Amino acid sequence: MTLEPMTGDAPAVTVRSLTKIFGGGATAYTALAGVDMDVRAREFLMLVGPSGSGKTTLLSILGCVLSATAGSAVVLGRDVTTMKPDELPAFRLQKIGFIFQGHNLIAALKSRDNVALVQELRGVPRAQALKDADEMLVAVGLAGKEHSLPGDLSGGQKQRVAIARALVGAPPIVLADEPTAALDAHSGHAVIELLKALTQERGTTVICVTHDPRIFSFADRIVNIEDGLIRPDDGSHS
Amino acid sequence: MNTELPPARRAMVMMRVGITMMLKDRARFVGTVAGVVFAVVLAAQQLGIMFGLLQKNTMFVDSAAADIWIAPPGTELFQPGQRVPASTIDLARTTPGVHLASPLVVGGGTIKKPDGGNEGITLIGTDTSTWLGGPWNMVAGAREAILQPDTMIFETADREKFGGLNLESIREVSGHLVHVGGFTWGLIPFGPSYAFAEIDAARDMLGAASNRVDYVLVTVEPGMQTEEVVSRLKARMPDLKIISGPDFHTAIVTNLLKNQLGMSFGLSTSFGLIIGLVIVALSMFSSVIDNLREFGTLKAIGCTNRDLTALVLAQSVAYAVVGSLVGLFLVTRMAAGIRSARLVVITPAWLTGLVPIVMLVLCLLAAVLALYRVRKLEPGMVFR
Repeated sequence: MTLEPMTGDAPAVTVRSLTKIFGGGATAYTALAGVDMDVRAREFLMLVGPSGSGKTTLLSILGCVLSATAGSAVVLGRDVTTMKPDELPAFRLQKIGFIFQGHNLIAALKSRDNVALVQELRGVPRAQALKDADEMLVAVGLAGKEHSLPGDLSGGQKQRVAIARALVGAPPIVLADEPTAALDAHSGHAVIELLKALTQERGTTVICVTHDPRIFSFADRIVNIEDGLIRPDDGSHS
Repeated sequence: MNTELPPARRAMVMMRVGITMMLKDRARFVGTVAGVVFAVVLAAQQLGIMFGLLQKNTMFVDSAAADIWIAPPGTELFQPGQRVPASTIDLARTTPGVHLASPLVVGGGTIKKPDGGNEGITLIGTDTSTWLGGPWNMVAGAREAILQPDTMIFETADREKFGGLNLESIREVSGHLVHVGGFTWGLIPFGPSYAFAEIDAARDMLGAASNRVDYVLVTVEPGMQTEEVVSRLKARMPDLKIISGPDFHTAIVTNLLKNQLGMSFGLSTSFGLIIGLVIVALSMFSSVIDNLREFGTLKAIGCTNRDLTALVLAQSVAYAVVGSLVGLFLVTRMAAGIRSARLVVITPAWLTGLVPIVMLVLCLLAAVLALYRVRKLEPGMVFR
């Protein structure tokens, strides 16, 4: 069972004047200062910039795990900045796959259970969820590791499980936060190559925050963010 | 298109995840279960001992085949004290509804040991025409032995204490030589153990008048209501305490709980439960803190607070169930190990049933702190 992918050329993400200010008064810190950005459906976009530039804040708002101070962020046709708090978990579950800097797997769950959990929460019966998980693990090159616990896997393998968890059920959009940061060059390259191939195959929109110039070549487009703003001269190329 | 998972099925999924997470962290699981076991053992053991002690003080009333007790005014416990007038027996016997009315003599005596020295006994003079006042729990000899002149029945647990008593041993009891005609088991109140003699022999040993009566034990005629006979007896003997057997039992228990046992055993039982609560609460809270990133991840991928509540509560219920089962098993074994004529740890069935419920409530309470932290957790923390 899979989710409905985005079709057509409608932008998957439209961000307008998005502002995020942490704190208040003298200690207020502006992380996003009116960001405008569009992400096309099926696009593999990399969000780059120095530490503290606001790229993770932007990703967090798009991922419905952080509220905005002002502006709008339309994700798959819905402005996530105006959604009610109790609508957000279901939206995240049904529409967004997450890949974190650390693998963030549940240590007690086997690989297949980590992946199947998302499907089960989506309402897929357990047997089918496990089947989906096993297929996804095969797709990320972890055939035979279905019953392994995260603790028994290498860093690269863990991140592959995380990719399988993010992609199972084919959510229309995947948000990845520095997915190669904790990996060596070889593993990092392999992981991003896999992510690119699988998302291209499924027509998934990917927004990937990264510091790692070695993987820039995989992007359809690179957006530079600095001091909470998209740099006007950001490249629209890979 | 996926369908919305029904809340119950969703909760089941999260409960399965919670139990899996709990079992994976074996050290914490064992530690937390140990906390629950400790609370169960301490609380149930203390209550069991308290019930055992209460039983020691109610055993005479419970064992006597009397429906109604006539006692001196102000009587709160079954013990030697004031007397009732000898005429009470005739008054009771002539009261409509009374089937039998037997006198009972209770007094403090001493038994002289062969190597010198004395030990105390609670001397019971029983009416052998009705046997309403014992003896019971015979483990050697027969109660009819006291029909023989100068023959008594003693408590088996005190045989060594009384200088190696055996059947047919001869001892001096309050200045009178007596034969040992039998032994009872477990008839030891708070004070010295009960020793039974025929009522007139007991009066002799106590140096009491031949008509001394400490209590009158009454049975009602078949078909009569005990309370009705109690009312009739009260009307005829307004100055005496007239109380049904069950009410006397309750009065003794209430008195002991109020004045002696309630506070000390209540405190130790409460401490056991409080310590268990603290251990489980700390363990569950630290489990959440240690796995904060995992909980954050679950929230980020779409779990709601309700989902995570199901996860945490499943863990607390599992701790309660496993801890209660292990704890009750240990309590049962310990009660069997401790059981002696001097102390019987009583764990009634209702206590066995109540313990898991109390522990469940305790563990759910203990989860409150962990739940508070989980519910406050921002899913955005996974990106930091």
